[in-house]
Amino acid sequence: MLLAIAWRNIWRNRRRTLIAASAVFMAMALALLMLSIKYGSLEQMVSVGINQVGNLQVHDSGYWQNKSIEHSFFDNPKVEQAFKGLPEIKRVIPHLQTFSLASYGSQTKGIMVSGIDPKLEDQQIGLSNKIIKGHYLQKNDEVLIGDKMSEFLKIGVGDSIVLLGQGYRGVTSYGIYKVAGIFHLPSNEMNTSILYMNLTDAQRFVYPYQKGLLTGFSIYLDKPSLAEKIKPVLEKKLGKDYEVITWKTMLSELLKTVKFGKAANQIFVLILYVVAAFGIFSTVLMMTMEKRKQYAVMVSIGMNRKKLVWLSIMETFMVSIVGVVAALAVMSPLLFYMHFHPIPVTGDMAKMYLQYNIEPILPFSVSSSLFISQTVIILTLSFLSALYPVIYVLKFNVLNAFRH
Amino acid sequence: MSIIQAKNIYKVYNETNVPVNALNGVDLEIEKGEFTAIVGPSGSGKTTLLNIIGGLDLPTEGDIYIEGTNLKSLSSRKLIDFRLHNIGFVFQAYNLIPVLTAMENTEFILELQGVPKKDREKRAMEILETVDIADKKDHKPGQLSGGQQQRVAVARALASQPKYIIADEPTANLDSKSTEELLTLMKKMNQKFQTTFIFATHDQRVMDKALRIVTIDDGKIVSDTQFER
Repeated sequence: MLLAIAWRNIWRNRRRTLIAASAVFMAMALALLMLSIKYGSLEQMVSVGINQVGNLQVHDSGYWQNKSIEHSFFDNPKVEQAFKGLPEIKRVIPHLQTFSLASYGSQTKGIMVSGIDPKLEDQQIGLSNKIIKGHYLQKNDEVLIGDKMSEFLKIGVGDSIVLLGQGYRGVTSYGIYKVAGIFHLPSNEMNTSILYMNLTDAQRFVYPYQKGLLTGFSIYLDKPSLAEKIKPVLEKKLGKDYEVITWKTMLSELLKTVKFGKAANQIFVLILYVVAAFGIFSTVLMMTMEKRKQYAVMVSIGMNRKKLVWLSIMETFMVSIVGVVAALAVMSPLLFYMHFHPIPVTGDMAKMYLQYNIEPILPFSVSSSLFISQTVIILTLSFLSALYPVIYVLKFNVLNAFRH
Repeated sequence: MSIIQAKNIYKVYNETNVPVNALNGVDLEIEKGEFTAIVGPSGSGKTTLLNIIGGLDLPTEGDIYIEGTNLKSLSSRKLIDFRLHNIGFVFQAYNLIPVLTAMENTEFILELQGVPKKDREKRAMEILETVDIADKKDHKPGQLSGGQQQRVAVARALASQPKYIIADEPTANLDSKSTEELLTLMKKMNQKFQTTFIFATHDQRVMDKALRIVTIDDGKIVSDTQFER
């Protein structure tokens, strides 16, 4: 019966309850809309990052801390075997990266040589779409360089670039390669310092005496969330000679940015919720004042104050829940629709998005944590608002309440 | 044996700078089945005495015993529980729970007592029939007249099967007809179930029905008269 009393009590003053619930509804709806766009953009950034590095990477043990060519390893059946039997793995891309000097004419520059499987890499990050001059890797002894590197070395498509560096196990690595194409990536650092070549060329460049040298595998899973589950499985299969790194470690700087981005939004959300909290609290305050006599009657006839506390808490929560349910009912379908039909970004902004390898859309997040967190915030505010009637109910003097 | 024994009750209110002596040494005993009116001018202390007898307030000095239990010895929580099982209340302004129907208001006290749903529905219905308001069982207080609301209040007070019922000015807001009906009802309950009623009243019509009239003035009992009616 307490539930019935609480529910009917809040509707005794229908207009007031609707105003309070509307404040909750507006605050939550706006917060959901704003955060959905913000989280969507941040999730998109993370998604692009994962697309570049993979959900997991497998290296020789110690490579992540000390990215030396000495921490490379030869591709072998044990590693290949470890990937088999894991249906969650969608794609495995081998790579070999090393540092080298690049020279053309009188210009020399320190660069990173990245040996890739042209087909797999293109499927994953669409590298061929970034070529602004020349063509994508088609045969051996061809390389791709960034536009900034091209400017620095004063080298163009069809010219030959000389590489000289430290190979594996003390070998001096050297080679002369034809520039097949010049790319432009969103990152100027990459445009300045990275050189792509066929994986087999890179392996021959670093260590010509044995085939199959790699610095690691990028592993792509069905879902990013599976990374933490697959990591220990792979670690167990591969043993101590190898390390398995998740995207969270690889993209730790990006995740910090994401975290900061989310936190910055909280200030505006906080303002919205302060308004909602006042809406709830003022209603609760008025309801408590109005019901002093009713509370006094209830205690007089023998109602335990603890039950009265529950009654007042239920009433406060019910007002908020009306707002929360309305906000979820209206915003969930809307946000899900926007998630599957995002707003397209056009014009110069779209070009900028594409430069960063980001789809030119305004994405909406429908992460369950978004809905849960906002509901929890509202319910916490309700709980705080309920403290006033709770304290009143525990302390009030029955006869004084009758006199009022 | 007396069900209520008030011994040398003093009540001093210190809410302002000047202490107010509401009761000055009241001794009163009430037997089971009495139909007693406490009367006196405004400010004489009758409501204070009624509040103390009803366990809503405690004396500054003196003791109040209900069938041997000293109310002063009970904790606040136990006092509430004591009221639930031993005392019924009828208020001047009816004070029904406005969002509950007549039936639910009557049932409510039984729910507080932990009576199973089926039993409390049965008992509430019987009581509503007894007070002749069963046809309005689904009406909320706002849909009932003052007299009808007070009948529901009596039903609620009776539902818990209390040792006695305290009624503070129960007819103050009622017209003559409703007053007559209510008093007849209470008298019927008193005779039929030996329910003890204690009223604080100014109403001559209540006094005319009372079997005992305790007159209080300046916080003291100045007369105590029993009647054969």
